[in-house]
Amino acid sequence: MSAAQGRATGQGTPRRQYATTDAVDFVVVGSGAAGGSVARELTRLGHSVVLLEQGKAYTRGDFHHDELEIVLNNKYANLPPAHVQTYRKVPDARAERRHYLLYAMAVGGSSMHYAANYWRFRPGDFNEYSRRGGVPGAALADWPITYDDLEPYYTAVEWAIGVSGQGGADPDEGRRSRPYPMPALPVTGPGVVLEIAAKKMGWRALPAPMAINSRPYKGREACHNCGFCWNFPCEWGAKSGTNFTMVPEALASGRCELRSECKVSRIETDDRGRVTGVVYFDASRTEVRQRARAVFLCANGAETPRLLLMSSSSRFPNGLANSSGMVGKHLMFNGNTGAGGEYEHEVNGHKGPPVTRIVLDTYDLHDKGFAGGGGFDFRYPFPPILSALSMPPDVPQWGAEFKQTMRRVHTRAVQCWGHTTSLPVPTNAVDLDPEAKDSWGLPAIRVTFKEHESDMQMYRYMYDRGIELLKAGGALRTWGTPPGDDPGIAVHLLGTCRMGNDPATSVVNAAHRAHDVPNLFMVDGSSFVTSGRGQPTLTIQALAFRAADLASRAAKRGELG
Amino acid sequence: MSDALSRRDFVATLGSAGAVWLLADVTVREDAAAHAAHQVTQAQPALAVFTREQATEIEAIASRIIPTDDTPGAREAGVIYFIDRSLATWAKDQLPVFTEGLTRLPKDVETRFAGQSRFSALAPAQQDEVLKSIEQTPFFGTMRFATLAGMFSLPTHGGNRDFVGWKLMGQENAMEFTPPFGWYDTPANRRAMLGGDA
Repeated sequence: MSAAQGRATGQGTPRRQYATTDAVDFVVVGSGAAGGSVARELTRLGHSVVLLEQGKAYTRGDFHHDELEIVLNNKYANLPPAHVQTYRKVPDARAERRHYLLYAMAVGGSSMHYAANYWRFRPGDFNEYSRRGGVPGAALADWPITYDDLEPYYTAVEWAIGVSGQGGADPDEGRRSRPYPMPALPVTGPGVVLEIAAKKMGWRALPAPMAINSRPYKGREACHNCGFCWNFPCEWGAKSGTNFTMVPEALASGRCELRSECKVSRIETDDRGRVTGVVYFDASRTEVRQRARAVFLCANGAETPRLLLMSSSSRFPNGLANSSGMVGKHLMFNGNTGAGGEYEHEVNGHKGPPVTRIVLDTYDLHDKGFAGGGGFDFRYPFPPILSALSMPPDVPQWGAEFKQTMRRVHTRAVQCWGHTTSLPVPTNAVDLDPEAKDSWGLPAIRVTFKEHESDMQMYRYMYDRGIELLKAGGALRTWGTPPGDDPGIAVHLLGTCRMGNDPATSVVNAAHRAHDVPNLFMVDGSSFVTSGRGQPTLTIQALAFRAADLASRAAKRGELG
Repeated sequence: MSDALSRRDFVATLGSAGAVWLLADVTVREDAAAHAAHQVTQAQPALAVFTREQATEIEAIASRIIPTDDTPGAREAGVIYFIDRSLATWAKDQLPVFTEGLTRLPKDVETRFAGQSRFSALAPAQQDEVLKSIEQTPFFGTMRFATLAGMFSLPTHGGNRDFVGWKLMGQENAMEFTPPFGWYDTPANRRAMLGGDA
């Protein structure tokens, strides 16, 4: 076993263990994009950390190409019956049982199996409200930080984990203090088709920034092009999820104890209103109390607000850190559109990384009358079963002709996926269901969500441009379904503990510190003030690095007890 | 089916592009894995759910969904063993759809072909006629999904024997590939299509 493999599995590193009765500097709840990054930075800066993860710890040897188990049966998801959610469209409706918000239950969280699109926000994403104005029915606001505040952390994350890309390729990107650590991934079939399409449309196809190694990086392999990527954990360790990057580095510091299969149920506070630790159920469902000088919630845009609401007390009757009433509000998902095209020659998009070229000419659609905007990629990420289920609908769907369709189309199809903003609507929210409970006896997540009409129009516009783009690339036929007003399932969980300078309208301040509780920090998708253009992970991680840096400074000033 | 959460959809519904997730329980998946590990060691898989007669009917339907022609179809892929195993494990709650469909099938056959009751005994064109008459039923929808899942899932689940399903699609079973992968990313073709922009 190489040193890198040893690091990745945590072997060869003396495991640090902390007593539950000793107050560690920080408890970090969640080991995904945000929590893994926070743990890595806090330990690098010298702090003791207990990292709690409700999912399991997996190693490369656990991963495989089993689409039935991983994709169709959702091996890694937060599934019923253990996990329970209810859903209603509008606040005055009764919520029905329905599983709406999905994320991966594992060390590394959803970064373990993401497609790894790593777009930075552009500078204008942070102050779109003051530049473009509001939208009725949406609580648009500027971020309390600027692109320049975040830029050093974007760069630090790109170098910490390994991102492949071509700095400067996008003429509208923000200032970049360092190039990407690796060149962009070589263009694959769908990327070339997008280049052809974009040229015809008078648009630009840009090399996609991807958190997938284009060459060996920090002891991990380069991508071997196996193609089982989107929704699959990487069998080569070439995808830069926190399971392969941040978490192993945090453990290697000797200052971090990872406890997986631990489900946090409550944040505890003292009579001064300060956090004293967390209560969780361990793998055997025994209740454990871990003391801490400060707590970081990085449990994602559904579970972070849920934990705050579950931590209500006589001092915090509406939930911890919720004097504003904003905890759980402004749930955003990012709009997404999808359409297929069949091409004359073999594309073979099932080989190689999922995305190698993107188009951002639709990034700002205000001149078309829409708030926000987005971008496109071409890909064919469907493994065989999903591919068979996604054949063009204008031919028979079974029988000899269907068989010939599958034989021809799997290797010649491209999907055009649009990724867009979605508006922060105050009534779109995560809160606690008054009746339903999960298998730990904790209140179920209740989702209230209805798309904003302005977003529906913008999604339709993007869907139509996507079809045009497929045709411009030479598609022999195209197919798809325009986005409906119920996304059905959501994976980008954003906006539910928004950042802001005003304690009356936001949950955390510009340093991700709860306005109401000085030693409680929240950073993950919940921090987002606006949704961005559909690829949130790099921004989540940059926010996490910045939050950890600022929290460390506060700790070193003695502010955290 | 009042409680959507207690249901594991054997009939796939594709969400919009960002997420394609279907729901199944953790516990039944673990059953399935154990079952698969046992079954894979047997040369002629035993049937856990279907009788041989039922299996013959199900296999006949599957082989009209993906027929055998110049390349193997659902029959050669062993899709019947995938379906049987799934219904014994992770897709247990879909069994009523199959038993009801199998109960109705002789009537569906007889309605069209007097004096006949066995679907598997019909000629292929007659079989297709029966299937067209039940194309919109949950049974057929579930059969179609199960056939595709059995044709294209890993052989360890009982179907896709010798990867015949993957070979049909042009999906190679390998852990790595070397570019160019297709026509478009072959440098000369890309240059021809893009000119100076390549």
